[in-house]
Amino acid sequence: MSLVNLAHVCSHLQNASKARLGVTSIPVSKLHVNLMLGLQREGFLSSVVLGGPTPPKPYLLQSQPSPESLDKMAGKLRDQPWLAYPAPEETDSDSDSSTLASDISRRRVALSRSPLGAEEAHHETPVPENPARRRLWLGLKYWNNEPVLRNMKLVSKPTRRIWLTSEDLGKITRTRESSYVKGLTRPGECMFVTTDRGILEARECVERRIGGMALCRVW
Amino acid sequence: MSVCRSARCLFSKATTGLPKSAPAPATRSFQTTAPRPARRRRPHYPSIKAEELQLLNKAAEATYPKYDTTETTLLEKRYTPDQIAAIKAAETAIDTRDILTQGQRRSDPWLLPYKDDLAEMDPVTDHAEKLSHKDIQGSKTFRYTNPVERDEAITQVAMEQLAKLYPDGVPEELSAEAQADLEDMVGTAMTQAAFDPRAIYTSKNPKAMATMADPRHSIVQPDLPRIENRMMRQTTRLANEEKEDPREKQLLQYMRWTKKQLRGLTIKTLVVHGVVNQTRMGKIRSMYFLTIAGNGNGLLGVGEGKSVEPADGRKQSVMSAIRNMKAIPRYENRTIYGDLEKKVAATRVLLYSRPPGFGLRCQHLIFEMARAAGLQDLAARTPRSRNKMNVIKATWEALVNQKLPDEIARGRGKKLVDVRKVYYGGSVH
Repeated sequence: MSLVNLAHVCSHLQNASKARLGVTSIPVSKLHVNLMLGLQREGFLSSVVLGGPTPPKPYLLQSQPSPESLDKMAGKLRDQPWLAYPAPEETDSDSDSSTLASDISRRRVALSRSPLGAEEAHHETPVPENPARRRLWLGLKYWNNEPVLRNMKLVSKPTRRIWLTSEDLGKITRTRESSYVKGLTRPGECMFVTTDRGILEARECVERRIGGMALCRVW
Repeated sequence: MSVCRSARCLFSKATTGLPKSAPAPATRSFQTTAPRPARRRRPHYPSIKAEELQLLNKAAEATYPKYDTTETTLLEKRYTPDQIAAIKAAETAIDTRDILTQGQRRSDPWLLPYKDDLAEMDPVTDHAEKLSHKDIQGSKTFRYTNPVERDEAITQVAMEQLAKLYPDGVPEELSAEAQADLEDMVGTAMTQAAFDPRAIYTSKNPKAMATMADPRHSIVQPDLPRIENRMMRQTTRLANEEKEDPREKQLLQYMRWTKKQLRGLTIKTLVVHGVVNQTRMGKIRSMYFLTIAGNGNGLLGVGEGKSVEPADGRKQSVMSAIRNMKAIPRYENRTIYGDLEKKVAATRVLLYSRPPGFGLRCQHLIFEMARAAGLQDLAARTPRSRNKMNVIKATWEALVNQKLPDEIARGRGKKLVDVRKVYYGGSVH
């Protein structure tokens, strides 16, 4: 778990928002994916999509179902509403279930076997089989001609990790300094902490009374 | 040599009271260096030689001759004996040679319009003449008028007033307008006469009756005359122009403000310095001004002005500061929303929000701006360059471009609720 790559991601996101990019990509790693999902949960990003070297098709450019097929689906759901829920997964333990690619391929198979048929498979994006060619595509957000994510800085450094207890985090979220980490004094500032329950926002950590290693602060 | 001994010497001299004829001891020198010779004292006035004095006497007699008998008789015709006595006293008191050597003619605009004519009272420069009850000769008893006497007095006073208005008598043929005027005047004269003391009181002594019409006996000061000279008109016009500055008028129209609102603003010039423009003709010096304007309630503006004329440059900066006033978001009307940071050129300004009662603990420029904007709790740091102009600009931009929590929440798609509005019945800001 190198923080060097995370530092690169931080700078890249700052640069991308300064350049007013709509979509940008970062290398894929579990840390990055979880952190980006955390950012999306906090509303800094509009979308997090796994893709290849080319950006994924925007939703509006993807193939849309025809109105007739939508009508057919609606009729089917009216008669059998339980079809809206996915079918129970069949256990196929022979394939290596730990990798991300296998997970995605399994999900694709499950979708094709869904009781509603191929209608809802339109949001699929091609993911290269080669992991080195995969990228994580992020949708950046802008509001009132201003980027929503403007600054992103590392708290722990590659040479100096900082672990914070929930008490420290409580002080920091109340704008006080603790464990040599400055308080969250800027309006709308967030800090992400990696814990044994995943990557969480500092305030959420305080709520759940868990500590962890501080990753980065975003505002 | 001790201090006590010198003091004893001093006291002994005072107490023993030696006769003056005793030889005074030589003044003791307190230093070994030779005393500095006294500067040759110059007289305050040039010494005049005897011959020149003769010449001066002659010139004085020639230019300011003594009154001869014919002139004194003429004076007696014009002035009262008191005034003549005063004139003679002045003549003897003032040396004509002094007038010749030191006298100057006044040439300022406020010089008195007369030189020596004291016969008339000047209503502006002189005190109004006052007479008291002691000046009334004869008995001073009076009584209320009966109705007949009152009507007589009223008609008499009214006739006097009308005689003043129409000195040549009322003309026979009058136009309709003139007739209406005359009737109006008669009406006012009758009303005035009804309030005249002569219509209310009467006395057997005709001199006491005359005092009632005499303005010198009135306790009310006479009105100042309407001054109708060109100088006066010009000065009043200039004063009006000053009041209606065209730039200010334009600004008021632009802001849709009244003058009163403009007067309530806090305006302060924080930076003044000279700048020089080098042209092929030479250096042109002008003054630069940076002014802030605020209403103490969340409005703050910064304006710059530059002109060869200092007053003009200042005015420019003030006007532009007022025009540039922008709203500054304030948390609880006392501090800022979170910490701010702004960099202008090499100047970095950090502004920190602080709890109630903290005060304005920041450098003087930021202090003045915070005071003008109505911020009460603020801390600030200027870690890099402290260029005054850039500090002011950076602070202003940081204060104006604050990101509000509501806006941030909208941008992130989050729901934000201010719980203070719920807990205290919405009684907080």
